[in-house]
Amino acid sequence: MTFNASIIDPLQGDFPEVIEEYLEYGCMKCIAFNRRGTLLAAGCNDGSCIIWDFETRGIAKELRDDECSSPITSICWSKCGNRILVSAADKSLSLWDVMSGKKITRLVLQQTPLQARLHPGSSKPSICLTCPLSCTPMIVDLNTGNTTFLKVSVSEQSNGPNLAMRNKCSDGSTSFTPTAACFSKYGNLVYAGNSKGEIVVIDWQDGEVRAMVPISGGSIVKNIVFSRNGQYLLTNSNDRIIRIYENLLPLKDEVGALDDLHENQNELNGVEKLKAVGSKCLTLFREFQDSITKVHWKAPCFSGDGEWVVGGSASKGEHKIYIWDRAGRLVKILEGPTGALIDLAWHPVRPIVVSASLNGVVYIWAKDYTENWSAFAPDFKELEENEEYVEREDEFDLVPQTEKVKCYDVNEDEEIDIVTVEKDTTFSDSDMSHEELCFLPATPSPDVPEQQDKFLESSSNLVDSNNSGSPVSEKAGANGHSMNHASSTVKDDAGGTRMKRKRKPSEKVLELQAEKVKKPSKASKSSKPKSKSLADKSNGNENGLYSDELSDE
Amino acid sequence: MATEDPMDVDSSTYKPYTLSQTLTGHKRAISAVKFSSNGRLLASSSADKTLRTYGFTNSDSDSNSLTLSPMQLYEGHEQGVSDLAFSSDSRYLVSASDDKTLRLWDVPTGSLVKTLHGHTNYVFCVNFNPQSNIIVSGSFDETVRVWDVKSGKCLKVLPAHSDPVTAVDFNRDGTLIVSSSYDGLCRIWDASTGHCMKTLIDDENPPVSYVKFSPNGKFILVGTLDNNLRLWNYSTGKFLKTYAGHVNSKYCISSSFSITNGKYVVGGSEDKCIYLWGLQSKRVVQKLEGHTDTVVSVSCHPTENMIASGALGNDMTVKIWTQQKD
Repeated sequence: MTFNASIIDPLQGDFPEVIEEYLEYGCMKCIAFNRRGTLLAAGCNDGSCIIWDFETRGIAKELRDDECSSPITSICWSKCGNRILVSAADKSLSLWDVMSGKKITRLVLQQTPLQARLHPGSSKPSICLTCPLSCTPMIVDLNTGNTTFLKVSVSEQSNGPNLAMRNKCSDGSTSFTPTAACFSKYGNLVYAGNSKGEIVVIDWQDGEVRAMVPISGGSIVKNIVFSRNGQYLLTNSNDRIIRIYENLLPLKDEVGALDDLHENQNELNGVEKLKAVGSKCLTLFREFQDSITKVHWKAPCFSGDGEWVVGGSASKGEHKIYIWDRAGRLVKILEGPTGALIDLAWHPVRPIVVSASLNGVVYIWAKDYTENWSAFAPDFKELEENEEYVEREDEFDLVPQTEKVKCYDVNEDEEIDIVTVEKDTTFSDSDMSHEELCFLPATPSPDVPEQQDKFLESSSNLVDSNNSGSPVSEKAGANGHSMNHASSTVKDDAGGTRMKRKRKPSEKVLELQAEKVKKPSKASKSSKPKSKSLADKSNGNENGLYSDELSDE
Repeated sequence: MATEDPMDVDSSTYKPYTLSQTLTGHKRAISAVKFSSNGRLLASSSADKTLRTYGFTNSDSDSNSLTLSPMQLYEGHEQGVSDLAFSSDSRYLVSASDDKTLRLWDVPTGSLVKTLHGHTNYVFCVNFNPQSNIIVSGSFDETVRVWDVKSGKCLKVLPAHSDPVTAVDFNRDGTLIVSSSYDGLCRIWDASTGHCMKTLIDDENPPVSYVKFSPNGKFILVGTLDNNLRLWNYSTGKFLKTYAGHVNSKYCISSSFSITNGKYVVGGSEDKCIYLWGLQSKRVVQKLEGHTDTVVSVSCHPTENMIASGALGNDMTVKIWTQQKD
């Protein structure tokens, strides 16, 4: 999408502001985008997973599991997008092949994994990192079922040899609270945050802790996650502070760099050595907290380009999303409808955030678009306020001299290349692209004969009337069988589109609106705050409200 | 008639296209012809309310010709069909008709899979996106609609123009849509949001009859009803090449890029010929004669040096033109 950068208005800004749409199917608990943001995977309460085609906002695939009917606790894509790993409350890990929708492996562990992450370095990963409910994180080999516990505490380690336990049955050290852990960008290292509030850097291949960074206050680390480019690390601690660290290690040969650092610190030993090396691995960059409400943050993460940090809050059952720029300035608080926030994901490329709610619905937050009128007529110049117009001397002359347009200084003899495609620099490791699964083929679901002739006005809660098709009308009920119905097709939105644009609708549009049939509201939905018309928003900084499309009831 | 041209073709090496096949069957004017992206099928649409597909039978490498034979007939539209498009995997065809619907057909069996309702006037042009999960259509109702293939739902309605929309196309990664209209404008839209990115406008605004992205998505080929074909760089808003010599002032004639053996622009004409221009030189390198009415549509085979063309009511045939092999 770098090519469009030349014509996309840079003033549109980079973070979401309002709920654009919501996805509802079953009861979704956790969400993850594939690498390119074309598909959104969601793990459900009943053990199944739904893969949404993010462009059409329709269901692309359903992964139904006969063996698992417990809630999914985490969902993770492989880098190339052909595999999905889910962990569930029945202590299982399941690896799925996305294209075929078939399960590849299922493992049952000793403990429920709260989080499971596939190794990010390979296209068909068989290694994953899981964080179980109450013991140390472990590396699981999905092919053999072998589990290896990772040592995350440094205090026992006086002279540093490998003490990792390779025993499948052991439950590791005794009373641990869940430890957060993640792979580094290429998966050579595991960064874990332990219950003493220390970040430990582990070479998972040999299980050795190579560095340690204490976090001030020593509060338990609940989440730890890297930005997509691997340059920043985020920790979320029990002291309600989100900390951003800069990663000082090189992205690819991290283990080699650590070896060098260890050599340089030869005069030190044990914990002191690890701390010294640690200080060369990470430096604290920023801290974010809400000093007034002291919010416990949920599912904090970076935006795709690492420029923004987002954290959710579910305190008192709210559904709030805080957005900071990396320098630490709070730029937005998004407030969603009732239903505590339980998971959050930022789109890899676009200024879109997706949040999962306790009531099973997933909200899509996007920019509140202001129509760029210059796009419709290039010689339009948008004015912020009335300007006094002074006509030119010869403006009303029959042959105005200055009317000439510059177009003909084009050199029509220049060679043009219509074939070469520019490399998309957004995704740096495009060496993988030949194996990558970016989208699932769409098979049109056949019209049922009686539906072919009529089309119903669809009842839609959609906000942006540009997206007149709603997945809302697709479902056959909460946990019912999926069928993307063709029946509830189009409300004729030619008029509706104008409403969202912050200008007075034209006459034509007003006519069309007058003809429109009012849509029935869906009683089954949880109550939504009544819409504030977009035009009322004084300064959009506080609330991204969920607005109803045309009616201000 | 090859003309000497140092920039893109040496007259001594340019091999002229010759007529290799004429396919009959349609009972009224042809409106569009298109090759599938795997090059194995050709489809045509017509005012006779049907679509037809043709497949290659004879593909010996030492045979001098690849011949097409009729494969399927697609019936169901209630009025004439103006345009059609293959999905990327060639499994589905979508057609745009005066009966205000778009229809999705299963290619091998000919059966109607889906009907897309929503437009309020003749649907004139249609295309799949490269991922083929989305269809874009343009209509006489002045809107461009974006449809979800799977469910048939209309995802977006773009207030695209103030006159009938004559052509719609996706760029190669499916992120942009270009639309053209009799109102004289070409507009570029962000496919995922439906927002207008740019409007291309010139001094004069003759009705735009056709628009299409270049293979790399950087340029657009624009046909206007003042007998001109232009290649625009839409980012800068300037046109870079003008191809002329043909006649186009009435019909929405499609044009295409030929890149299998040198770079050319190919277009139909109201003087019953097909014109080939050198992409860089803009000179007419060949005029293909044979049709007996306006050539309203051309399509270039993705891998072979082959052009398919369709003509209006006095002719009603699809003709296949190939370059002689050595």
